[in-house]
Amino acid sequence: MLRNLVFASRGLRQSLAGILLRNSARSSSTATSLDAGTEKEVRHHENHASEWWNQNGTMGALHALNEIRVPFIRDGIVSRGTVEPGYVNTTKVLKGQHILEVGCGGGLLTEQLARLGAQVTGIDLGEKLIEAARDHLKCFSSELASNVLYKMEPVDQHAKANCEFYDGVIVSEVLEHVDDKVTLLEASVRALKPGGSIFITTLNKTIPSWFGGVILSEYVLNLVPKGTHHWDKMISPLDVQRILDTMNCQTVLVNGSTYDFWSNTWRWINNTQMCYALQAVKQPLSGSN
Amino acid sequence: MLGVLRIQGALPSAGQVRLLSARLLANKSSTDMTTNRCESSKSPASEHFDIIIGGGGLVGTTLAAALAKNSTLADKKVLLLEGAPELRGFDPSGPYQNRVSAINKNSIELFKSIDAWSHIEAARYKHVKQMQVWESNTDALIQFQHDNFASDVACIIENDLILDAVYARVKDAPNVEILNKARIQCVRLPKDSEGNLSELQLQDGRSFSCDLLIGADGANSVVRKEMNVDVFSLNYDRMGLVATLELGEDACDNSVAWQRFLPNGPVALLPLTDRLSSLVWSTTNEQAKKLQALPPGEFVDALNEAFCRQYPRVELADKAVQTLNSLFGHNASQHQVQYPPRVCGVQDKSRATFPLGFLHASSYVCNGAALVGDAAHRVHPLAGQGVNLGFSDVRHLVESLAAGAYAGFKLGDKQHLIKYERKCLAKNVPIMLGVHGLHTLYSTQFSPVVLLRSLGLQLTQNLPPIKNLFMRGAMGQ
Repeated sequence: MLRNLVFASRGLRQSLAGILLRNSARSSSTATSLDAGTEKEVRHHENHASEWWNQNGTMGALHALNEIRVPFIRDGIVSRGTVEPGYVNTTKVLKGQHILEVGCGGGLLTEQLARLGAQVTGIDLGEKLIEAARDHLKCFSSELASNVLYKMEPVDQHAKANCEFYDGVIVSEVLEHVDDKVTLLEASVRALKPGGSIFITTLNKTIPSWFGGVILSEYVLNLVPKGTHHWDKMISPLDVQRILDTMNCQTVLVNGSTYDFWSNTWRWINNTQMCYALQAVKQPLSGSN
Repeated sequence: MLGVLRIQGALPSAGQVRLLSARLLANKSSTDMTTNRCESSKSPASEHFDIIIGGGGLVGTTLAAALAKNSTLADKKVLLLEGAPELRGFDPSGPYQNRVSAINKNSIELFKSIDAWSHIEAARYKHVKQMQVWESNTDALIQFQHDNFASDVACIIENDLILDAVYARVKDAPNVEILNKARIQCVRLPKDSEGNLSELQLQDGRSFSCDLLIGADGANSVVRKEMNVDVFSLNYDRMGLVATLELGEDACDNSVAWQRFLPNGPVALLPLTDRLSSLVWSTTNEQAKKLQALPPGEFVDALNEAFCRQYPRVELADKAVQTLNSLFGHNASQHQVQYPPRVCGVQDKSRATFPLGFLHASSYVCNGAALVGDAAHRVHPLAGQGVNLGFSDVRHLVESLAAGAYAGFKLGDKQHLIKYERKCLAKNVPIMLGVHGLHTLYSTQFSPVVLLRSLGLQLTQNLPPIKNLFMRGAMGQ
């Protein structure tokens, strides 16, 4: 157990703020009226907008997370059988797939999925984050310009305009910053085609993950800015599964992962005590709306 | 600074520029890194490739072939830069070349996977069924072979043949371009956390950009210098002398590789055919020069003496080895040193020397660049590991690049290149330390050291599990 705790340490480095849904104004068309909690999370992440693409900075763990979350999403999509067989094992593997990334932050994951051929839309509530993402795309990955679209927009609003449009929706390192998870997931699922997959990565609500992800990484090792993670916002995979079930999404895969801070590497482990990645498929039959 | 010079001097030749910058360097005592750096704005018409390999030696060319063969990387444009003129091809019926390599199983697997092995098989190479290593100060010896000689310990292949085989694969590849007589003048790498391109300029003025620049340009790598990594290097003050030797009647099928540690360094015979062997003799610089200049007859005598001569024994160590053997229930006859076949001639002009050294780069990768082969590590030839380590770099690098590209990473992203480095370091460092350790251990005649090394060697010979461990390591399994 002790070993496990140490291993976990940086738990999840935070990520994307955004996404937080306005509980009240679901019909409104402006993104101005964020509630106080959401506002705080967005500002917290915006403060690190300039750091986002620095592999050696406070986003180091998030960069490293791409090593496992991109293959998780890629193989999850391939396993649905919608990828042309000729594209498998090539760098065009996600060609023609429409993907929505909810809470894209500076676009670390967005660009990498686009590089595999996917059409990715990244949305976030942080203006500075979207700006940083667009800047990076323009300066360093201009070849992806036709594959990536960044929008500062709440997910419910985006889902309304793009109902059942996406082959995949990604909510990566976001749930732990959101109060109203049901509303967020509901909107995410609404944007998903029947048969499409929603991918979620976050940290579990357990003593080890709290100790590693909050106490060790924020207060002892100073790997993550203080106040990034909160116990009451963490959520267990079973709870996520339960919420998705009510939205007609069947969970097909839950993988546990942990972070080794000394080598800045993530690896899969055979329990979900620390962090986890989850894939659920929106069932084709019956109305989710 | 360089740019200013260019303008004023109306494009002086590359050599002049280097001279000038060298002079400036001396005056201003700035580091060569700043003057060597290309001005990116100066080369607007540079051609872009996904991957550029600097150096078309054995490792660089094999890497190009392996990249071309990988299905995930099939859409990447690769450029192979080589300073020498185009390869003239290899004549399998001509005289044997003096530069040969002991190729282990892993490297053979690599050749098979890139379809180069059939080319080598169709030409000529020699299986080594057994290896005997012994020394000059005691009777300690070790013999490596597979059970019942069922499998090879290694294969001895001429370097030019390997190059010819992989070169043919590269020429067939639609996505690889080869540029001969291309010498790198300067390199510019993206700075940390900047995602832009690596650029390089050739001595003839042409410039290129790429996502990933691979330094396969040997121990004096230009790419490595620009990467700004720490390098640990040692000059052994020894030369390797190579030659192609004719053997006497007693050679039989000549399938044993022989190596004897002499006080000045190891001398090794690597079989080429039933009647020919290749020599690698590591010795002091003076002795190597002297041996190279000797008339053929005297050279052959010196060589036979090197393998057979009785050196002053370290009696204590000798006794200890005998005692150890009796403890294991072996009598002396089982551990009789076998002697290599008599050398009766040396082929004309086959003698050549090269310096020996040790080198290891602290890091093999940075954003936009990676090192393979001798550019990253150089070892003493005594265990025949140098080029095999290079080929294992190639396998790991291609694997890592394919995995990285399939996960949407940029080719030059340090985030995934670091995985290549980790795999290589874990494999290379123990082998390099081992080889360096052996060199050091056998460079002395100090009695306690002789005693310990003899006991160690004999223990290894007598304990099959340990012996198999070493053998597997050397054979790359």
